[in-house]
Formats: sequence, structure tokens, C-alpha cells
Amino acid sequence: MKILPLKKTYAGKKVLDLPEIELPEGQITAVIGANGSGKSTLAKLLAGIERPDQKNWKAPEVSVGYMPQKSYAFRMSTARNIAMNGADLERIGRLMKALQLEPLAKQRAKKLSGGETARMALARLLMGSYELLILDETTAAMDMESTLAAEKLVQDYCQETGCAVLLITHSIQQARRLAEHVLFLHGGELVEEGRTEQLLTAPIRDETKQFLEFYGV
Amino acid sequence: MGSSIQKAIALILSADRELLNILGTTARVSLSSSVIALLIGVPIGIWLGTCRFHGRGTLVVINRTLMGMPPVVCGLLFYMLFSGIGPFRHLKLLFTVKLMILAQVVLITPIVVGNMETYVSDIAPAMRETSKGLGFGPGKRFLLLLNECVYSIFSVYLLAFARAIAEVGAVSMVGGAIAWKTNVMTTAIMQYTNRGNFTLGIALGLILMSLSLVVNVVMSLMQRRMSR
Repeated sequence: MKILPLKKTYAGKKVLDLPEIELPEGQITAVIGANGSGKSTLAKLLAGIERPDQKNWKAPEVSVGYMPQKSYAFRMSTARNIAMNGADLERIGRLMKALQLEPLAKQRAKKLSGGETARMALARLLMGSYELLILDETTAAMDMESTLAAEKLVQDYCQETGCAVLLITHSIQQARRLAEHVLFLHGGELVEEGRTEQLLTAPIRDETKQFLEFYGV
Repeated sequence: MGSSIQKAIALILSADRELLNILGTTARVSLSSSVIALLIGVPIGIWLGTCRFHGRGTLVVINRTLMGMPPVVCGLLFYMLFSGIGPFRHLKLLFTVKLMILAQVVLITPIVVGNMETYVSDIAPAMRETSKGLGFGPGKRFLLLLNECVYSIFSVYLLAFARAIAEVGAVSMVGGAIAWKTNVMTTAIMQYTNRGNFTLGIALGLILMSLSLVVNVVMSLMQRRMSR
């Protein structure tokens, strides 16, 4: 899946300036980088939440599913929040079981904790059918057990549907566990990209090396 | 004082005709104006809360200014527009219930708009990101937003109704407080107190305070439910 060059400025300040990138279908591509490197902006542009500077920019003509950093819990039960994106009861049950949401099914979603809301939001997103799935720090609020369960669900979804997944994460370990490809952003620019192990073990650019050193890689 | 209150309670219990007429006019003016203000104000409030466009900030400031408009200024404006020297004199609406309702709509609508805008602008960005991220179209997103606003709309309505029923400046100027025609509770309290007839004034005051209590209890319950 080709993503055409993207540019975004806020109040005259450049926050993103990317060349054309390729997101392989049926695979997970991780986006790593420090705060303010443009990761979330990239996600919002691809999800259609914000518009790039280029007026004639064409988004890929695919269905896009996007989970923002802070997901919204609608004023209804946890189960209804999940069912609002698909009525397949068996799938709802499987997702709720995998993410340990069954005991919270009838609870008001607005009363869920941050981690529970993230689990509910992921289950809700995975009820849909998308060709491009964008996950923005989806597991940041989850404990390790939930994180691993969520990662498994995302991998399964990717394999079953053949969709391209763009995983924005601060966890190098998570990128290593899930992604085949990694994009490293710095100051709104794509500094380095490549196969996960290659980029994480033998980075070429100084910015990438410094970033990975900071994370103890 | 004590005997006046006793007489007032007796007057309420006896279903005095004049008292019932004042209550009827008050209900007609307050209910009509608050419902009309709600119908106009809620869509505008949602629009201002959800949309980002050039000039939005100016509109919000203008609305906040109108929220604080003194009722007598509103009354003066309508008086000048509809009196014998005004451009709308041929409509012959001065000292009618219709003009009282219109004046109250002008007073209350900014309050509805302002409260809805504040509530919606607080939840709209996160809601939009999430619902758009799920691939929902504008229609479904709007219905979801309405669902999120249900209690807020009800709460805003009660606020609008409370403002309408307690308002005196505008309705007395454009309605004239004419007995059996345009006299509402607040204007009647002023009128009867000036005449030294405290019994009817106290009776109306008790009813007004009771209504205020009911509105506040319902609002508290709504807020408790909203915070769940």
C-alpha cells in the first residue's frame, strides 16, 4: 500500500515532511521516534482526522480503522460499545474473552479505567473490517498481560484479513515482537526505515543510534 | 407575616381564579419560550461546539455577551421596536403574550447555545477522532453525539425554564403586567406588593420557590446520573 508524500505544518512550524512510504499488506509496520517526532500526526493524517498541507493529496482508497491515543468511551455499556462496530456475537464474545472484558460487559464504559477503556476500544476497533489499521500507542495504558493479549489479537487480525497495520509505539520490545518493518521518525522526517531486526541492531543514521541507545537497545 | 403566609396557603388550596390565570399565563410564556429557545439553541450550540472555522471565536464571544444581557435592556429593545414609534408597530404585538415569549426567547437562547457549546466542545474532539477512526459516517457520528448530549440537553432545558419563569424585567416591559392578560408570577408579585396585597404575592412567591426547588432537585439528579 503506497502512501504519497505527506507534509503538515502547524502555525508555520513543520511537524511532518515524509517522502512516499510503502505499507506492506498483511504485515505490521512499526513507527518509532521520540515525542514530537510526528508519529501521531502521521496517524491522524492517514485516518483522515486532519488534512495534510498538500491540497491535492490523495489518501489510499482503502477502508481505514484508527485507534487514537485516547479512545472515547460512549455513554453505554462496555458490550454495547464493542457491538456498535459489528453485530457478530461470536466475535464479540471471543474479543471480550481474549481481552478479559467479560466481567465488565454490562458496566458503563465511562466508568472503566484507562487500561480497561483501551482494551474495550481495541475490541471495538477489531470488530470492523479494515484494509489499513492504525494503532496509536494502543497498549500504553495496559498491563503486560493485556498488552500481550492485545498484540496477539492484532497479529491474528492482520493475518486473517491481510490488512496493513501501522503500529505507533514507544516500546522497542513491542516493535520487535510484532513488526516486520520499522520507520524511525525524527523532527517530523523519516530518518531511517528497514526490516525490524536490521534497523534495531544495525542502524545507520546517528539519530537512530542515539534514540536506540537511550532505550538501551 | 405568619397570618399572611397562612392566607397565601389557603389561597393556593382554594384554587383562586386570578391565581390560576396568572399561573396559566406564566406556564404558557415560560414553557413556550424555553422550548423555542431549546429548539433554536441546541443545534447552534452543537454546531459551534463541533465545527472549527474562521470567526468561530468571535461568535462565541458575542454569544457570551448576549448571555449576560440584562432583561430590561431586552425589554427596552422590544418596546422600542413594537411600540407606537417602532418599525413593527403595525404588528400590534406590544402588551401581548406573544411578544413576551419572543423577548424571553431572545434572552434565553444564548444561554442554551453557550451551555451546549461548552459541553460539546469538551467532548467533540475525542468523540470525532474515535468515531471517525471506526469508519462511521457523518450521520452516525451526529446521532452518537446527540446520544452523548441527552442529559446535557435536558439539564440545559431546565436551566432555560428556570431563567424564563424567574424573569421579570423584559416581560413586565413588553407585557405591561395587565391583569387577566399578560400578568405572570413575577410581575404579579411586584404589582400586588406595591398595592399592599401581600397574600397573593406570598402565594405566588411560594409557588415560584417550589418550582425552583423542583427544577433544582431534577437538575441535581440529572448531574448525578451524568457523572456516572
